[in-house]
Amino acid sequence: MIEAIRNQARLLLENGDVDVVIGYAEGSDPSRTTPIFIRKAEDVEKLIYDPRCINSLPLYLNKRHEYTRKGWKKTAIIGKGCDIRAIVQLIAENQLKRDEIYILGVPCEGVVSHPEKWDGSLHDGNRASKCIGCDVMTPHETDFFPGDKPDVDRSTPYEATSKNVATLMELELDKRFAFWRTDFDRCFKCYACREVCPHCSCNTCITDETTPSWIDPAAHKKGVFSWHLTRAMHLVGRCTGCGECTRACPMGIQVDLFNQRMKEVVQESYSYKPGYSLEDKHPLITYKVDDREDFIK
Amino acid sequence: MGKKIEIHDFEPKIMAFVCKWCTYSGADLAGTSRMDYSPNVRMIRLPCSGRIDPQFMIKAFEQGADGVFISGCHPGDCHYNEGNYYARRRNTTFRQLMDFHGIDIERIEFSWISAAEAIKWTEVIDAFTEKVRELGRHPQYDDEVVDPYAQFLVQNKQESA
Ligand code: SF4
Ligand code: SF4
Ligand code: SF4
Repeated sequence: MIEAIRNQARLLLENGDVDVVIGYAEGSDPSRTTPIFIRKAEDVEKLIYDPRCINSLPLYLNKRHEYTRKGWKKTAIIGKGCDIRAIVQLIAENQLKRDEIYILGVPCEGVVSHPEKWDGSLHDGNRASKCIGCDVMTPHETDFFPGDKPDVDRSTPYEATSKNVATLMELELDKRFAFWRTDFDRCFKCYACREVCPHCSCNTCITDETTPSWIDPAAHKKGVFSWHLTRAMHLVGRCTGCGECTRACPMGIQVDLFNQRMKEVVQESYSYKPGYSLEDKHPLITYKVDDREDFIK
Repeated sequence: MGKKIEIHDFEPKIMAFVCKWCTYSGADLAGTSRMDYSPNVRMIRLPCSGRIDPQFMIKAFEQGADGVFISGCHPGDCHYNEGNYYARRRNTTFRQLMDFHGIDIERIEFSWISAAEAIKWTEVIDAFTEKVRELGRHPQYDDEVVDPYAQFLVQNKQESA
């Protein structure tokens, strides 16, 4: 499979169809892979793809990384299904044009939840939770796909919400509040969860604003709560569930629980699934006259 | 004649974010008509209910508000035609977020109040103040929490990435 991808990448670079191919290469130790930017056709042999390829590459297509892309007219990118969801969402949000991107889709069997868990094979003990029930193992939007693309039914909603969301929803309100306060106590506001998110594309994040300072910059509980609530609200209907924020958090906080819950909410309320359609409008920038308003007095 | 002044043990702080075209004028009408309404409400005037960023409400809770009140023109009456429709959608999701976070969504009230509905304004505000008074002080983020169950959950989270 990877041979076909390498050949296609070589062809694209040799013909000058793309300026760069973004993919994965062997990392610093055998359990890790690293993102790689390939600009010369002879380097395509470095490309690999296997369950260790966990990074979400669309991060580099985000406007915040424009300086990296300076002068590149067309970028080819290797995408597993969930990454392609992120690309589609970026295009739908006008962060990116479809014709600037050449998507090399890979069939994906799932990835490991963390490099440390890699023991030579992928099994239930080390599979990332987002991969359970994944409906884009055969990607939905590609320019190149090795072999034939089987027909996949994507009409039913994809449910990769971790069990923790359901567990938390069953708790009483004050227990839930206590849970977050205990959990967020450890957050020291490194903002790794923001830096790694393909959809946090603001040039100046609201938490870096100082006039006015909307979010208390200190890493005490008030500031931490404001940060997480704001972040979750900004990603409503945009988070494509790559799980990178949780993986990046050095304190082991499950940052994406909020996002997963909000994904359920937009699906229930507005039947909207981020990352599947290039045209669908984000649910919060559109409206229907007869939207639900049972909570309004 | 004013209402009899009651003394309560707890006076909730309520932030109101209101649209200047309808609710603010409605409250103004209530004032100029010398109607009584709960003094617990601190009002912030905004150009439209569509201008009420969830950030304002988060900030209000962060700074120790016990309840947040949001109000704008009735559907179809928006000065900018559609601002209140966006506000409605935004608040649908925001309430769910607050609920998941463990904040009682009874502490967030949304109401359509037009410039003529001074009476509705006084009624809604009084009822909301009573409700929040019963709910009590909103837990502060820097309160100590010692909840063994929460700690158990944090320590035994299932692996996810
Ligand atoms: S990555 Fe973790 S510690 Fe850093 S800001 Fe996000 S939640 Fe807090
Ligand atoms: S919020 Fe987290 S899971 Fe969602 S897209 Fe951003 S990094 Fe991925
Ligand atoms: S948290 Fe919000 S303001 Fe900050 S980068 Fe993400 S989307 Fe932008």
